[in-house]
Amino acid sequence: MRTSPALAALRYLVLSLLAVLFLLPFYVLLRNGFSSDRLLARATWHWWPDDVSLTSLRELFANDDVRMARSLLNSAVVAVVQTVATVLISALAGYGLARIDSRTNRVVLGLTVLTLMVPAAVTFIPSFVIVSTLGWISSLRGLIIPVLFSAFATFLFRQFFLGFPRELEEAAMIDGAGYWRTFWRVVMPNTYGICAAVGTITFIGSWNAFLWPLLIGQDRDFRTVQVALSQFMNSQGVDLPQLFVGSAVAILPVLLVFLFLQRYLVQGVERSGID
Amino acid sequence: MSTLTARLRGRQDRNVWFWVFVGPFALGLLVFVYVPILWSVYLSFFDARNTVSPTHFVGFGNYLYLLRDPAFVSSMGTFALFAVFIVPVTYVCSLALALLVNRARVAQAFFRSAFFLPTACSYVIAALIWRLSLFSGARFGLANNVLRAFGLENVNWLGGANYGYWVVLVSLRLWLQVGFYMILFLAGLQRIPRDTYEAAAIDGAVGWRVLRHITLPQLRSTSAAVVLLLLIGAFQAFDEFYNTLITVGGYPPFARPPLVYLYLVSVGGGTQDLGLGSAGTIILTLVVAAVGLVQLRLFSLGGREERA
Amino acid sequence: MALPRRRFLSLSGGLTAAAALGLAACGSNTGRPDAGSSASSPAGGSAAAVSLTQWYHQYGEAGVEDAVKRYAAAYPAAKVKVTWQSGEYEKLVGAALLTDDVPDVFEYGNGPTLDMIKAGQVLDLTETLGDARSQFAPSVLAAMTWDDKVWAIPQTVDMQLLYYRKSLLEKAGVQPPQTFADLVTAARAVQTKDVGGFFAGNDGGVGVLGNQLIWAAGLEQINEEKTGIGFAQQAMYDGLTQFRDLSSNGLLASASKDWFDAAPFVNEETAMQWTGLWALPDVQQAFGEDFGVLPFPAIGASGRQAVPFGAFSSCVTAKGTNPDAAKAFVKWLWVDQEADQVDFSNSYGTHVPAKTALAPQATKLAEGAGAEAAKFLTDFGHAPSLLWTPGTQQAYTAALSNVVRKNADPQAQVATVARKAEAEIKRVNG
Repeated sequence: MRTSPALAALRYLVLSLLAVLFLLPFYVLLRNGFSSDRLLARATWHWWPDDVSLTSLRELFANDDVRMARSLLNSAVVAVVQTVATVLISALAGYGLARIDSRTNRVVLGLTVLTLMVPAAVTFIPSFVIVSTLGWISSLRGLIIPVLFSAFATFLFRQFFLGFPRELEEAAMIDGAGYWRTFWRVVMPNTYGICAAVGTITFIGSWNAFLWPLLIGQDRDFRTVQVALSQFMNSQGVDLPQLFVGSAVAILPVLLVFLFLQRYLVQGVERSGID
Repeated sequence: MSTLTARLRGRQDRNVWFWVFVGPFALGLLVFVYVPILWSVYLSFFDARNTVSPTHFVGFGNYLYLLRDPAFVSSMGTFALFAVFIVPVTYVCSLALALLVNRARVAQAFFRSAFFLPTACSYVIAALIWRLSLFSGARFGLANNVLRAFGLENVNWLGGANYGYWVVLVSLRLWLQVGFYMILFLAGLQRIPRDTYEAAAIDGAVGWRVLRHITLPQLRSTSAAVVLLLLIGAFQAFDEFYNTLITVGGYPPFARPPLVYLYLVSVGGGTQDLGLGSAGTIILTLVVAAVGLVQLRLFSLGGREERA
Repeated sequence: MALPRRRFLSLSGGLTAAAALGLAACGSNTGRPDAGSSASSPAGGSAAAVSLTQWYHQYGEAGVEDAVKRYAAAYPAAKVKVTWQSGEYEKLVGAALLTDDVPDVFEYGNGPTLDMIKAGQVLDLTETLGDARSQFAPSVLAAMTWDDKVWAIPQTVDMQLLYYRKSLLEKAGVQPPQTFADLVTAARAVQTKDVGGFFAGNDGGVGVLGNQLIWAAGLEQINEEKTGIGFAQQAMYDGLTQFRDLSSNGLLASASKDWFDAAPFVNEETAMQWTGLWALPDVQQAFGEDFGVLPFPAIGASGRQAVPFGAFSSCVTAKGTNPDAAKAFVKWLWVDQEADQVDFSNSYGTHVPAKTALAPQATKLAEGAGAEAAKFLTDFGHAPSLLWTPGTQQAYTAALSNVVRKNADPQAQVATVARKAEAEIKRVNG
């Protein structure tokens, strides 16, 4: 397919403009975090920040209403535990559903697919009811455990394992290995790609989650960083530079994870058979 | 039958192992998805305020109240309006981006990353940026600066006196989601065999006609998935609405999608009316299921021959 | 820092919604009935054995907690333990009053709510106040007076007022507005593309200016017979129409902070702003002499200028461990200890001492804008009526919002508020 150089140049121009537009909000975040209140309220838009120091950052972490450090810690614990646990639980379940045929296999599979049809957020009220009965409000358990069971992840793994070459497993079984050992010694070492994909999706989803942590984290010590930022924004004592520098800090881990692992995400999508 | 084949066919303790692998997941699914849903169905028939074990049976009372409540009906209307906007616009934009990026030879990875990166940003933080800096109704917002540069007046985007908040919400969601759907489309585009295009070129088809008659039909199953995901996503809209519009005085009376309404009713508004919230959840689930089914049916009407 | 009292002053609902709901539902669960026993001071000998608990909410200014603890420690006749409550103070108090675990003394915005009084949860302090009653501004005491009895003793007074930039008004050739019509003209004359005319909140002033409109029109929230609203009159409808005019042109609808923060005025986003007395130091620091203060301008021919105020006031619980001792302590601190009262008002932010005679001693109010503000309080001060429940407040705010945003008919909207108020008053009266 030949395209004229003019058209190609136009394409690159449009793409570049769009790329600038898409990256703009990230820059605004940084600019706001390193500006003073006055600059942010000025009538004309200034592209350059005027207070490139760590003052706002220090003030933010000293702010006892926000409890930024604690919130970051909570987010980190929740995200890491949730990622590891979800990948494990879903990989195991996906393998079982793909390889271990039994009467209940089809029932469980059906239930899993059915859950896919129900949007997760719609179950937040009933889940809240259960969790509050269990007494898990304002606790790390309440933040982590109810969201570990991802039908989507399990389904992805199942699809993946269906297409996994049986020869490897058969070779292991010939050598006398059972399901368990086959899974850990032979199958898992060859699934790092999809584990990375599922892990990335889960980590990002967990770090960025809002509604569930909002419901569960009613005590200020058990808020995640998203909830902390949201409540800071809406409080009477809000300080805009602090808010934005806090957001920049909150976005950093996820950006890093994303930049390094996005190709697994892309590969995962390509192989997922969503379409 | 040799021992090898017997072993490969399956073991006697297959059921046990099935539960070893699938057990934790199944248990979690049961406890944290199905039991809550069933309990919620149960609650929806009761007057359950500030309690999870109610005693006052009201039958379909909650459902009737909701269906007659102008606030609930208007929240469904909000969702419908939102979906009508966001689904086609996201579809077109992500497809357009995918088409552009797909043909870029230089720095394709960079462009792809640039458009995909916003997916990593949380709705909360994006809402902060949109609400306080880009579309602030005050004089210092970027959008207002641009307007004033053209000689126009400041617009109070989120004030509710006009429909400006839709611009804010739709652009916010677009920014956050377009990259992901672009990736989906890219995957779909890369699956189209090159000879299809070359054959079309030989026949003299070019540009717009290629798009309509070759590319789009080949993307049918991707499109189906994208539209379905977009619809379900539109239903789940909460984070960006809440964070863009909430104020110290509470949530405004406009722009309440169903989840915000349910949240305010069952948790956020003072009394916890869990019976009402549960009934609303059930209604919402049924609507989503119905819409999803209809949409799948529509899309598979023409595309059955696509699947191998 | 967060300042919860600003929220209650803005009267944007929810002040005692939770408490009121809880208390109303609870019914009249009275503790020990108190038929106005005289407030005798506790016996001197075994005084040290008496211990009392006192609750304050979390003030935003630094140093307040240490100060109140200092005052309490100096009380000779009992050991007073001060609890500094963070979190949602109204909810905490409401919940505690339902149990037996009540504080002996607690502060509350503008005195106790009507539900608290009716449920017998707080004691009548008229005798405790005694002759000193005349030393307090009558309007301040009126907010906590019910059935001719005083139910709390004011600690300090917060108020709101209108700040304006002298130079900007001069440049536009307008006088500081004394009437609402003047305000509309001034706001429109002074505003530019970059600077707004008048700012009263990101909700367009609907939350905080609502009650001002009633008082400035020369009317009252509740009518004389105490059965319903007192502003179903033409003057009010005209006022609402004028407010709608201001909202469409002249009012700045959005700024970097909300009304209770001086930032929009200080950042020069607006030429005039309605905010609290607490903002005075910030404004003085930013503009020196280039600003003035005004009460809310009069509306219409029969209107009057008005400023709202709120006074956190000390209440004594009925179910406390030692009501007489508690009453004596409250009298000692908030009636007798004038130095402490001045210190409380003046040293941590800017407030007006509740006793009118002490106002000159508060140095921040000695001259200039501060002195004018103190005078507004005496001359034009209003506090919400005890019968103006949170339910009525919400209905009124919604009505105001409809008039401004949806062009609704003022008379019809006021009628809906009237209905709600009547229902609320019936409910509260038992």
